[in-house]
Amino acid sequence: MDFGFSEEQEQLRRQVRRFADERCPMDRVRELMDSDDAFDKQMWASMAELGWLGLAVPEQAGGLGLNWEDVVVVAEELGRSLLPSPFLAVTTAARAVDLLGSEAQKAELLAPLAEGTSVVTLAFFEDSDVIDPDGVATTATADGDGWLTLSGTKMFVPWGQSADKLLLVAREGDGLSVFAVDSAAEGLTVEPLQLIDTTCRAARVSLDSVRVEADSRLGAVGQAWPLLSRALDAGLVALCAEMVGAADGSLQLTTEFAKVRQQFGSPIGRFQGVKHRLAEIYVATESARSLTYYASWAVDHLDDAASSVAMAKEWAAEALDRAGEEGVQLHGAIGYTWECDAQLYYKRGRLCRNLMGSPDYQRERVLAAQGL
Amino acid sequence: MDFSFTEKEEAFRNEVRGFLAEHHDSEGVRADGADVESAMDKLPKLLAWNQALYEKGWVGFSWPREFGGSGGGIVEQMILKQECGDVRAPILGLSYMGLAWVGPGIIQYGTDAQKKRFIPPILKAEEHWCTGYSEPGSGSDLASLQCRAERDGDDYVINGQKIWTSLAMWAQWMILLVRTDPTASKHLGISCLLVPMDSEGLEVRPIKAMNGETPFAEVFFDNVRVPVENRLGAEGQGWDVTKHALANERSSIAEVTALHHNLDDLKSMAGECRLNGKPAIEDAGIRQRLARMESTIEAMRLNGLRFLTKQLRGEPIGAETSVNKLLRTEMDVETGRIACDMQGGHGVLTGESPGAVQGGRWQKNSLSWPTTVIGGGTPNIQRNVIAERLLGLPHDS
Repeated sequence: MDFGFSEEQEQLRRQVRRFADERCPMDRVRELMDSDDAFDKQMWASMAELGWLGLAVPEQAGGLGLNWEDVVVVAEELGRSLLPSPFLAVTTAARAVDLLGSEAQKAELLAPLAEGTSVVTLAFFEDSDVIDPDGVATTATADGDGWLTLSGTKMFVPWGQSADKLLLVAREGDGLSVFAVDSAAEGLTVEPLQLIDTTCRAARVSLDSVRVEADSRLGAVGQAWPLLSRALDAGLVALCAEMVGAADGSLQLTTEFAKVRQQFGSPIGRFQGVKHRLAEIYVATESARSLTYYASWAVDHLDDAASSVAMAKEWAAEALDRAGEEGVQLHGAIGYTWECDAQLYYKRGRLCRNLMGSPDYQRERVLAAQGL
Repeated sequence: MDFSFTEKEEAFRNEVRGFLAEHHDSEGVRADGADVESAMDKLPKLLAWNQALYEKGWVGFSWPREFGGSGGGIVEQMILKQECGDVRAPILGLSYMGLAWVGPGIIQYGTDAQKKRFIPPILKAEEHWCTGYSEPGSGSDLASLQCRAERDGDDYVINGQKIWTSLAMWAQWMILLVRTDPTASKHLGISCLLVPMDSEGLEVRPIKAMNGETPFAEVFFDNVRVPVENRLGAEGQGWDVTKHALANERSSIAEVTALHHNLDDLKSMAGECRLNGKPAIEDAGIRQRLARMESTIEAMRLNGLRFLTKQLRGEPIGAETSVNKLLRTEMDVETGRIACDMQGGHGVLTGESPGAVQGGRWQKNSLSWPTTVIGGGTPNIQRNVIAERLLGLPHDS
C-alpha cells in the first residue's frame, strides 16, 4: 500500500520544474503564444533528449518503458508553467500506437516520436463532438488492392498544424479503424483553429479522398474502439495532470498576490473573504490531484478505468476553472488586464474544461459505468 | 504507487472477515453518532459487540499492547475499519470519545496511575467520556476559554460553564479544559483535568437540538473539587494535550464507508421515488448531483490514502485533514437535501406522517448534520486552517 511517487519520480518532477523555470518562464510562454505555431523546436528537442517524449513508450521501441504515472508527473509540471508544446498530443498518440500497432508499426512510429523528430497526433474528434464510435462520420473505403480512401473532417486535432503524422480514426465496415497517415498526404488539409487559450494549438483536418495503404492501419479492421478508448482515457488523465498543475500554478500566483497586496492597512490575504476562497481552491485542487494520480495508476492496472478517469476530469476541470476565475477576480482590476498572468490560467481552464468531455458529461459517464 | 496488500495484511483481512462472520449481527446494530437515543435501545447488543472486539484486542487497535490494544499498524487498522464498514458493523468500540482522543491523550501525557485507572474501562466500554471544551464565549476561538480552576491544597476548585457537551448526560467522566493561570498568555494558561460527572456542584442541563433530540448539554461547575492527580499533563500544558489528542482523530476511512452506504441507499431510493411523474433517477439534475457525491466520496477516499501513505513513509504531516473535513461537510448537508429533493412534495413529510418516505429517515438526516459539520471545528475554521497553515496566508488576528 503506497499512494505516492517514488524517489525517481520525484527527481523527474524536479527536473521538469527546473527545465520549465529555465527554458520557459512566463515571458517566453507569452512569446510563444503570440507566435505562429507556438512550437519551440529547440525546446522540443531538449525534451526529447531528456526522454520525456518516450516515457511510457516500450524500451524496444526506443522509449524508457515507464508507466503512465511518470507521464502524469511531467504533464503536471508542464501544466504548472503553462509551457506550450505538443507533449500531451504526442504522448496520447504514442499510447494509441502502443495499444493498437504491430511490433513493426511500433518500431516505425514510436522511435522517431520518442526522439522528437516526428510529431504524431491522434485525430479522433469531429464536429459531432461525440465521444464514442457514433461520433465518427469519416469513412475508410476500399480503393483497389491494398489501398483505401479516407474522406471526412476531423476537429480539435491537438497540435495538428505541427504534426508530421496523424492517427486518423475512420469508420470502416461496422466499426472504427485507425490509420497512420503522413500530414503531407495528398488531399489532406490542415487548418489551424483559433483556441480560447493560445498557449495550446489544435487544427481541423479535412480529408478529401486521401489514399492510404492498408498497411497503415493499426490493428484489425473496424476493431479499434475498445483499445482506442483506452488510449483516449490515458490521454485524458495526462490532460487532468496538466490541469492540476495549472490549478496549482494559479493558486500559487494568487496566494502570493494576496500576501503582498495591501488594502485597509492589511494584506488582503488576511481577510476571510479572500483566504476562504483560496482555501476552497486548495481543497478542489488537492482532491483533483488525488483522483488524477489514482487514475494514472488505474489506466495501467485496471481493465476498466473509465469511472476513475471520468471523476478525475470532473474535478480537475472544476478545480482549474475555479482557480482561474478566482485568480482573475482576486487580483482585482489588474486581473482583467492582458499583462496579468492570472488570465493565462483562466484561459487554460476554459479550454480544458470542454476538451474531451465536460464535467457534466463525465458525471453521466460515472453513472453509466454503474448501469444507472 | 502500489495498491496491493502484503500476504500478512491479506491474512489479517481474512481474520477480520472470520471474526465478523461470527460476531456481527447482520440485522445491523449500527451505532450512529448522530442518533444516541436509538443507540441506547440497542445497548445490550452493542455491549456484546464491544466485548467480542475487546477480547480480540481490537478496541483501541493501534494502542500499545501494554495498555490493552493490539499495537496494530496503520494499514491493518484501515483494513479492519474497511471490512467492518463493508458489512455495516457498529463502530470499533463504544466509548467513542474515550477511544478517539481521551485514551490517546492519556497514553501520551498521563501518569502510570492514570493509565492504569482510565484505559481499561474505555476499552471495555465500562466508562464513557464527554469533552468539556466549548464555552458560551469560546467556540471557534477555543483558547479564550474562561472556566477557572484554582489550586486549594491537593485539589483544584472549578467554577464556570461549558456548553455543547455531547453525551454529557450519559458520560461518567469529562476531559475538561480550564484556565489555571489567568496571568499567562491565553494558550499557556490552560490545563486539562479529568473530572467525574457525579462530582458535587456539577450540573448537566440537556439542550434540545433542531431535530428534537438532546444530543448535547450545558455543564455548570460550582466549586467542583477534583484532586490534583486528575490533571492530565503539566499545569499550563492543556492546550498542547488537546492539540495532540485531537490530532489522533484523523482517519477518514470509517467516514468514507458510511458516506458510501448512504449514497447506495440514495441510489436505490432514486429508482423508487417518483419526481415530476417519473423515477427520480431519470431526472438530469438528480443524476448530476448523485454523480457529484460519488466523485466527492472517492476524492475523500483517495485524499485519505495519500495522507496514510505520508504517515507510513514517516513524512511530516500537517493540516491536510481539513481538506476531507470540508468535503465531508458538503456531503453531510447534501445527503439529506438530495434525498428530500428526490421525494419532491413528499420530501416535507416526517416520521409517522401519512405519505412519509422511509419513515422520515432522510428528513431526520437533514436536521442532524450540524453534529459533524459544526462539531470539532466549523467549516470556516477549517478554511482558516488551510489558508494559514497550508497556504501561509496571514493569521486572522
